[in-house]
Amino acid sequence: MSSVAKQLKYLNRISFTTKEAQILINPSKYAGIKLTFQAQNHNGHMGARKFWRQYLPTLQFYNPGLKIDVVRIDNKDTKRAGVPCILEIVSKEDKVLDQIDMKNKKDDTIMNDLLQRLDFEPIPEESLIKV
Amino acid sequence: MLNFSCIGRSVLRRSFLHTGNVLRAEEAAANVSKLSKDQLKKREIRRLAQRKAAAKKSPSDHPLYMSIPMALRFLRAAEVGQPQTQQTITLTTAVVAERGVPALAGSVSFPKPLKEVKIAVFSGDEDQLKVAREKFNCHLVGGTEIIEKIKSGEIPVDFDKAFATPDIAPALTSQLARILGPRGVLPTVKKGTVATDVSRLVQDSMGSMPFRQRGNAISIAVGKSSFSDRQILENAIATHDAVKEALANQVSKKTSLLGKTTLSSTHGPGIVIDFA
Repeated sequence: MSSVAKQLKYLNRISFTTKEAQILINPSKYAGIKLTFQAQNHNGHMGARKFWRQYLPTLQFYNPGLKIDVVRIDNKDTKRAGVPCILEIVSKEDKVLDQIDMKNKKDDTIMNDLLQRLDFEPIPEESLIKV
Repeated sequence: MLNFSCIGRSVLRRSFLHTGNVLRAEEAAANVSKLSKDQLKKREIRRLAQRKAAAKKSPSDHPLYMSIPMALRFLRAAEVGQPQTQQTITLTTAVVAERGVPALAGSVSFPKPLKEVKIAVFSGDEDQLKVAREKFNCHLVGGTEIIEKIKSGEIPVDFDKAFATPDIAPALTSQLARILGPRGVLPTVKKGTVATDVSRLVQDSMGSMPFRQRGNAISIAVGKSSFSDRQILENAIATHDAVKEALANQVSKKTSLLGKTTLSSTHGPGIVIDFA
């Protein structure tokens, strides 16, 4: 990354401009989330990848204790469509509490789905960090 | 010089009106790359002064300045979902040096090493080899027979450090200099890696990583994103001490200056930190 302005924009995207993901996930309830999807875009896996790039950094930034796993399965064969594309919400006891199917969904739809199933509080405006 | 080219250009324009533009463009291109020696020297001095001035600025004035824990929080967020092995956190310091000053080099011993340092010991003395093998559990231990094997490629060069006793050093230099030299693992008296008592050298270097100035910067990996803030801070402090020591030991009339220091990760941004 070259210019300072570009870098500031990038840092602020993590901490300030991505509004939907600025939440504090109830740490007593959840241990982490686990994403499994395909490394390639075909057969509807693009949204999952975009969700990872777009929202997960902010989610991790405001929930430093949350364990976020991303498993990407390599599958170059476009005819093989059986690769799972799921988001799992994992509890403290290592149990899968909830599961979201991310296939053929856009990144913002996945974020909304996740928000509906999680117990969270939005981060108050004054404690947001702006670089 | 400029005047001459102007005259030349006007003459050309008068005689070949249609080719004037092309010729002028060519001339301009030639002028950019062909600075006179004097101009080049002046430019170098100017750039050095600029870099010196930049190095003297306080890091907290920089727009990307952050405290280390905050920087780590951003870096961990930027690394989210990447494979564990690719989440290395690196500390880079700009070095401002006059021409001809030898490059900064030294070694850091980390309180929390990133990986085990592999050590090779070369010696013709069986007792020393035994100590290296049993007490320190070195990666590769031996005498002339392993020199032959490394030369033929039977044993890969996968160690990070090598030590030798004086009796075997000339053989190493003559046979393995081409293989070990470019990787920086050839034992030499000058580097202090050849001594009659190898065990002391090995003891000193356990858990330490060598570093070296490349171009105008020193770059050292200080941790993984899975390390705690405390561990990375301790490693950064160890790095700081080692770099300062290297500066103090520099054999030159003018010591180098340390400039802007950034903390970065494999996929993350570079964030300016206070390293003074």
